[in-house]
Amino acid sequence: MAIRLPRTDVVIVGGGWTGLTAAYELAHAGRRCVVLERGQFRHTVPDLQSPAMHDELKYALRYALMMDTARNTLTFRNRPEEIALPMRRLGSFLPGEGLGGAGVHWNGQLWRPLPSDLRIRSHYTDKYGAAFIPEELSIQDWGVTYEELEPHFDFFEKICGTAGKAGNLRGQKQEGGNPFEGQRSDEYPNEPMKQPLATTLFGEAAAREGFNPFPMPSANVTKTYTNPYGAVLHPCTYCGYCERFGCGYYAKADPIICVYDRLKGHENFTLRTQSTVMRVNKAPDGKSATGVTYIGDDGREYEQPADMVLLCAYGLWNVHLLLLSGLGQPYDPATNEGVVGRNYAYQTMASTRVFFNGKHRFNPFMGAGALGMVADDFNGDNFDHASLDFVGGGYIAVTQTNGRPVETTPIPSNTPTWGAAFKNAAREHYNSTLTITMHGSSMTRRANYLDLDPTYTDDLGRPLLRLTFDFPDNDRRMSRHVTAQALRIGRAMGGSLVEQSERASDPYSIVPYQTTHNTGGAVIGTDPKTSAVNRFGQLWDQHNVFVFGACLFPQNIGYNPTGSVMGLAYWTLAAIKSQYLANPRPLMGGSP
Amino acid sequence: MKWTIAALAGCSAAIATMFVAAAQDWQAAPPSAPEARLNNRSAAFLATVERRPDRELYARGRLIAMGGGGQGATGSTCFVCHGPNGGGDSTGAFPRLAELPGWYMYKQLGDYAEGTRPNAIMTPIAKALTAEEREAVSVYFALSGAPGRNQMPQPPADPRRLQWGAALVAVGSAERAIPACVNCHGSGSEGIPPSVPGLAGQNPTYIATQLTLWKTGMRKNDPMNVMGAIAVKMTDEDIQAVADYLGRLPWSSPVSEGVPPTGVPRAQVR
Repeated sequence: MAIRLPRTDVVIVGGGWTGLTAAYELAHAGRRCVVLERGQFRHTVPDLQSPAMHDELKYALRYALMMDTARNTLTFRNRPEEIALPMRRLGSFLPGEGLGGAGVHWNGQLWRPLPSDLRIRSHYTDKYGAAFIPEELSIQDWGVTYEELEPHFDFFEKICGTAGKAGNLRGQKQEGGNPFEGQRSDEYPNEPMKQPLATTLFGEAAAREGFNPFPMPSANVTKTYTNPYGAVLHPCTYCGYCERFGCGYYAKADPIICVYDRLKGHENFTLRTQSTVMRVNKAPDGKSATGVTYIGDDGREYEQPADMVLLCAYGLWNVHLLLLSGLGQPYDPATNEGVVGRNYAYQTMASTRVFFNGKHRFNPFMGAGALGMVADDFNGDNFDHASLDFVGGGYIAVTQTNGRPVETTPIPSNTPTWGAAFKNAAREHYNSTLTITMHGSSMTRRANYLDLDPTYTDDLGRPLLRLTFDFPDNDRRMSRHVTAQALRIGRAMGGSLVEQSERASDPYSIVPYQTTHNTGGAVIGTDPKTSAVNRFGQLWDQHNVFVFGACLFPQNIGYNPTGSVMGLAYWTLAAIKSQYLANPRPLMGGSP
Repeated sequence: MKWTIAALAGCSAAIATMFVAAAQDWQAAPPSAPEARLNNRSAAFLATVERRPDRELYARGRLIAMGGGGQGATGSTCFVCHGPNGGGDSTGAFPRLAELPGWYMYKQLGDYAEGTRPNAIMTPIAKALTAEEREAVSVYFALSGAPGRNQMPQPPADPRRLQWGAALVAVGSAERAIPACVNCHGSGSEGIPPSVPGLAGQNPTYIATQLTLWKTGMRKNDPMNVMGAIAVKMTDEDIQAVADYLGRLPWSSPVSEGVPPTGVPRAQVR
């Protein structure tokens, strides 16, 4: 029998970017917030301090900061007719665990979506005709526009002390920024990072080839900076330990230093770690939620009654909780009905290696997670699709994120992967090879979805989430087209060898790392038949449950998701504060 | 001539073996030969400014330290204040230079000259040195053997303050959002050449003064002001605690340890 705790105003599932931010905003709006985080408490000091943190084997290869798949994972298959098997090791994507969530081990590449990304079906239909969109795709508009989200993108960029250069400031094109981006109300709060040789050469070659390169927007901060919550961030030292690591320097924006530290003493804030939420509890009439049931750090079962429930776990686990709690109708690909689990998407990655055989010395160990130059000319609908046979695109970039010794062995594909020839090639190419990344959108289709596995359970006896996914042909065509552009820039850089490596394997493999950008499953929208939540992230049938995270994306954009996730989070929080708290009800239309 | 050197080399190797085997008593160990340090890759890396140092550069550096550079005309020599081997003095006004990274010292001389690290004594001296002289003298002091611990007399420190200093150095402070010193200065605060100086065994008064200069913005020769951002979060008590602790830390460097005085490979010595 669960131990019933005193009622709170808001219970928040997950202590990452969205959960801590929701707690900050609502605690300051006078609501008592309880955050339940399934992982450990951890903090920049002492847990993320170097030199202990600079341990590639422990953190990058053995995933010390990530989810423990021995306790909880998902099952996977490519197609509905296959039997899904548990993902017993992390690979393709790396969900976080512990205070700060995946926001602790991210790279800090902080993007906004394009305005056309958010109204993708309308945009392509208006511009190219309804018949242009491939039949298999179930893509749809977000139901919320770039203009509505813009103030929230801007605010989150300030929370992170983002370093970058605007390309479109209040409608005025800016030299040196991204000419394709939507209008910004303000410049980035900090100046761009200092670009090293590899990214500079890429930018020069891209410009020669007619592209419009600009520095990648970065949450690796470039000068001492105080964010709107009062957190002081320090300048990045370019140590090369961002992704898969926590930053001990107070230089990579993360939820602990940017939000938690400014919230921790607040009278309305309670954090309970090692607390795994089992389900959201529904009222007898099913019209609202009454709170959550969770297993606490003492192994006992607790019921936390609350007036509001915010689902702020990693996107996949939000969907899992909705399915386990019977909230919303589960998606059925056979009938194409239901919404929870619908429209799962990923990210279509590809890369091109350029070898210079000692001609340059790139010193890749001087790096940062979002240190790079980008060409956005082939992202979204920044290029004419009329003569093409796909929807979407991707950015082309060279980033210098790290030169860590175990995994940084760029060798030509015809080199043996062991022995003296391998060692000699690794030695020769380590310091004079760069990788051009193609970071592409991912469209949705009927056969890619999330549901509960009929066979396998987690350590608490609950059915695992089941992922059914393969890249749509649309995305493979997109990837080929954009990668061809990346190859063009690679050749223009004058390398001795340019090699392409296709990462959107056929079929999709969950084994090699690609990116931790899993989207969809509880998508935002304006139609209860095709979206799990309304345009404020609120469940259609239980108005006191709000969903956050990349599970809201109706399909995935060509950018890293965090900026869009947090733009939506602040949008939802603005609606809660201005419309919902005073009069709890289903929110309709309008702007907060 | 050759056999004489070889014989001497063998002899001192034997002596070194005795000391290594006996008590690790570096104070009593014979001073290492500069030649051996120049031949040691790690020591040479520590000292390198623009090019790998050689005997000639080292000898020029020593000459400048004794007043033979452009600054000599102004009556300034390095050794009078910093000691002939760069050991520093007990007041803390003149830090230990021995075994600091060569490039770091070279940059500081440039910053003294340009005024981003203003100092009434060092600025005119640095201005009087040419770039080549700055390189040579930096190489010389980087390769100067030091005893591996601060040997200057130090006033007794409050043990509780030392403990707080140790915590800040090794862990940092979550309460005040101060990252640990060892994040950048190395697990033993021995420094990370070429750009990050060692702090272990440095004079506590010097460390405290520098942190205060960072904190007040008087010293601003860090291009990204990382140290300014950290120091401004430290109280005067934090600064004194860190300085007291660091000043008492022994350090190891490729110059003073692990390099047999004669250049005989380490394995043979042991």
